[in-house]
Amino acid sequence: MSASAIVVLPGDEIPSAQLPKPTNKKKTLTLGPGLRHIPPETITTTIAGALVTDARKNAAWIEYNSGRYMPSVGDLIIATVNNSTGEAFNCFITPNTPQAALPHLAFEGATRKTRPVLPPNSLVYARITNSGRDSIPEVTCVDSSTGKSEGLGPLKGGMVFKISLGMARRLLSGRKGGVTVLEGLSEKMGFEVAVGRNGVLWVDGGSVKTTLAVGKAIQEVDEQALGEKGQKKVVDKVLRGV
Amino acid sequence: MGPQAVLSHLHRADGSATYAQNGYSIIGSVNGPIEVLRRDELPEEATIEVNIRPAIGVGSPKERHLETLIHNTLRSIILTRSIPRTLLQITLQVRSLPEEDASTGVSTSLTLLPHLLNTALLSLLSASIPLSTIVTSVLLAIPANTSTPVCSPDPKELLRAKPIRSIHVFAFSGDRRLLLNESDGTFSYDEWEEACELAEDVCCKEEGGVGLGEGMEVDGPQDNMESWLRDVVKRKVEQEQRWRTAD
Repeated sequence: MSASAIVVLPGDEIPSAQLPKPTNKKKTLTLGPGLRHIPPETITTTIAGALVTDARKNAAWIEYNSGRYMPSVGDLIIATVNNSTGEAFNCFITPNTPQAALPHLAFEGATRKTRPVLPPNSLVYARITNSGRDSIPEVTCVDSSTGKSEGLGPLKGGMVFKISLGMARRLLSGRKGGVTVLEGLSEKMGFEVAVGRNGVLWVDGGSVKTTLAVGKAIQEVDEQALGEKGQKKVVDKVLRGV
Repeated sequence: MGPQAVLSHLHRADGSATYAQNGYSIIGSVNGPIEVLRRDELPEEATIEVNIRPAIGVGSPKERHLETLIHNTLRSIILTRSIPRTLLQITLQVRSLPEEDASTGVSTSLTLLPHLLNTALLSLLSASIPLSTIVTSVLLAIPANTSTPVCSPDPKELLRAKPIRSIHVFAFSGDRRLLLNESDGTFSYDEWEEACELAEDVCCKEEGGVGLGEGMEVDGPQDNMESWLRDVVKRKVEQEQRWRTAD
């Protein structure tokens, strides 16, 4: 889907010809962000963007890259701790939205006796367990089935960078996202990154110079929407400077 | 000449747009969904707040009146029930007005209204707020010497066609429903109906078998608001997706 992307406006009806053909009769159609179903079988759009379909998963959604992050269950986010109450930390997912609750016991190895101590403004890498449409949003730092952190938890040191929501999705979608800049940089530098779907990138390179170089490189790729060749140029430029 | 639009150019707002037509230039910004004040909170709907800032000075009752009209129109297209207990803040800053605006002899709030509505919609699209449909708006003037309405007249045209018998503002949704009508002056019902039909043609896409895919390929006339809007959104999508094609 490049030039052939179907551009939609809110309120457009999606004809059934443009929806994915189910390969398996039993598999129901999944509607992603930006689409709504009006019974019996009308499917209309609610936001402006490009219509994307996936025949294998039998899913359709609208791809867009603007606006505020809206929490949805299962998303990985980087939250900022605001304060701590008796049972939970109150965290910001995006500014000026209701605070999300991160229970004190939702950390690996946390018990009533040994609770983690997080001062205000510390960062946590967490997963959303409740999107907060009808209650307050909730996040967790453990996998409920294994009780392990699986890479989630407090982020110590490093620095955060603001990236667009589309860039965060690209970074998290692996090969499909087409981001090669991190692999390129990692050949010469050592660093850690965490990507939050809420448009936050955390980088720790051990030294301020490395951290800034990596963060700025990603922001540049984001702002100029660079492809693979452009990213290689950015990598070369950064490695020359270090 | 068709209107000009730039989307998402303010980096601290969730959505923004600048719209310019016939010497009117307006910056719109949308913040939301954000936390709502307890006293404005609605249990099952989003609260919408519209702020209009005039080009010069502070807001007056004229701006309050326009805010109410825009608030009520937008409330019928925003899916407020999908984002309950939140706030949508829409700010519209008038950047410049044409010089002739005050001397045309017609209500200046009506000549500004369609531009404000179009800017508000562009900002909402930029902020990716869930909408049930789009809204497009147009101004029509009926001069005293003829009975044929002039569509989205330039202020210079209005000055030349003086005296103007009546002016009308129409706003239509994407499914051709009339959402807003404000009229000023003396006119007969037939004249109003003619103006309404003309406005519908300008605001909405041509009726008939224009499918979703076909509508964009037609290099539609620039005076059709719906195809113009589609063009603006197409440019926005291309901008966002250019990494897929970039090498």
